[in-house]
Amino acid sequence: MSDQALRRAEVGIAFRARRRRVPLALMARYAVLVGTIIITVFPLVWLLITSVRSSADLFAVPVHIIPTSITAKQYISVFSQYSLSSYLWNTVIVSLTTVVSVTVLALPCAYALARLRLPGGRVVLFLLLIMRMIPVVALAIPLFAVFSSFGMLDTLGALILTHTAAKMPVATWLLMGFIQDLPKEVEESAEVDGAGTLRTLVQIVSPMIAPGIGASAVITFLFTWNDFLIALTLTSSKNAETLPVGLTNFVTQYGIDWGPMAAAGVMMIVPVLIFVWFAQGLLVKGLVTGAVRG
Amino acid sequence: MLAGPALIVMIAVFVYPLGYSFVMSFFQWDLSAGSNDFLGLANYTDAFGSPEFLQSLRNQVIFSTASLMTEVVAGMGIALLINGKMRGLRLARTLLLIPPMIAPAVIGLNFRWLFNEQYGLFDAALRDLHLPVIPWLSDPDWALVSVIIADVWQNTPLLVLLFLAGLQSLPQEPLEAASVDGASAWRTFWSIILPLLRPVVLIALMLRIIDTFRTFDIVWLMTQGGPGGATTLITVEAYLLAFQGVDFGHAAAVSYIALAMSLVLLSALYGVPWLMARRRR
Repeated sequence: MSDQALRRAEVGIAFRARRRRVPLALMARYAVLVGTIIITVFPLVWLLITSVRSSADLFAVPVHIIPTSITAKQYISVFSQYSLSSYLWNTVIVSLTTVVSVTVLALPCAYALARLRLPGGRVVLFLLLIMRMIPVVALAIPLFAVFSSFGMLDTLGALILTHTAAKMPVATWLLMGFIQDLPKEVEESAEVDGAGTLRTLVQIVSPMIAPGIGASAVITFLFTWNDFLIALTLTSSKNAETLPVGLTNFVTQYGIDWGPMAAAGVMMIVPVLIFVWFAQGLLVKGLVTGAVRG
Repeated sequence: MLAGPALIVMIAVFVYPLGYSFVMSFFQWDLSAGSNDFLGLANYTDAFGSPEFLQSLRNQVIFSTASLMTEVVAGMGIALLINGKMRGLRLARTLLLIPPMIAPAVIGLNFRWLFNEQYGLFDAALRDLHLPVIPWLSDPDWALVSVIIADVWQNTPLLVLLFLAGLQSLPQEPLEAASVDGASAWRTFWSIILPLLRPVVLIALMLRIIDTFRTFDIVWLMTQGGPGGATTLITVEAYLLAFQGVDFGHAAAVSYIALAMSLVLLSALYGVPWLMARRRR
């Protein structure tokens, strides 16, 4: 409050009349801030609470807000009853492989688009933008037909290929922005010293845009980790089903097994929390740059 | 040469399938049978004659308009109010990053649980307050509202963050001048802040238009498009046609209609201001 008052004084307003209004307005603003935080967090806390309740407590009427006891039963049953470990394994493999392949492929592509005058470069840029807009279902329907004719349905390979192609436009767009922000002189002097384009990219440019590569890797990882529709379409068994698709298996003919479902949901959220905590800067950079430029 | 490998993958796994489904959309396409009959535009004209598709179109328009409006207005309101030197703003910014990053599938299931009419928290709270219980997911109209609520919960934080970033990069002079002139907060917003924020607002609108026409996961896990097709968005309709109706040609046509609609909206978003600026000149 004192800061506000000071600023007003500096600007030189006759604030005798206003001064009394400030605390009220400030209180209203704090109310909005606190309300926003509560609304944001509450559904997630509820999911967490749900995941540590016993089944009896879960289906008690009237609903207890505070659980009567805490148990890890739901987390155990998710592994013993629902073979969560294979879903988890598939999701981790697909997400990590996709991050590597997207980075390796998108980085040179972004460099070429940002720095070299390619014939048709503008067309490629336009295509990247359109690709970002395409509904996933429009891609999933023909891919089902294509992969089924190659006998590749229900394989991790099909998922990795699809995610690599689908996440490439955003990653390229993001990396391009970071490369364009670099001063050109460094690369030019490297070229003069006889380094080839590829060497310049790997040894000079890449270290300089490390935050950009990090941002694109984090975003690619999370969007692949979170994917539901591609895996729903292309997989049909434990061979390749991922965690989000595994969630639908909690919906049985007897209803939904909410306890294990909540436990699996919490596990889906863990990587998000880790990245938000440790790589918040990269995430914001990726989101805002990605949004602004693409 | 550098761009080669990336382009090959994108063409093979992205452009080729899309071309494939574009061709598919003109055929009676059956995966098992060998014969595919050319239909011309019949899949497209049939779509506009089918009550299911028209219902999904209606749902899509309501869903997109309602979530877009709510998210932009709430996002801007919250950003304006919490911008500035406030304790806890850093914490809020960190927390606001979480919902947009969570899998929509998880959010769909979580809200399905919150909206559960027997054990769900919302109806439990209403019961405690002796208010009538709301049939969140079993009533057709409420089901669409529930899906919109889940979408708004997930995406408003992203817009708050975008608008906050925009507000923080605003030049201070016009704002101080307005304050010296004694302009009201309302007036300052409409005639100074909003015009300066126009690029950010346009980007926010663009992002949300694109994404509301791509929404699938949240709806599929909350309602599977039900009850009685009340929450079937266009993407859900395309999925149902392909994988329950096994009518790939029809499904491909519907997915192209969804893409065309968001393209038209986007070009309107960018084209109309551009045309108006030209006319004025």
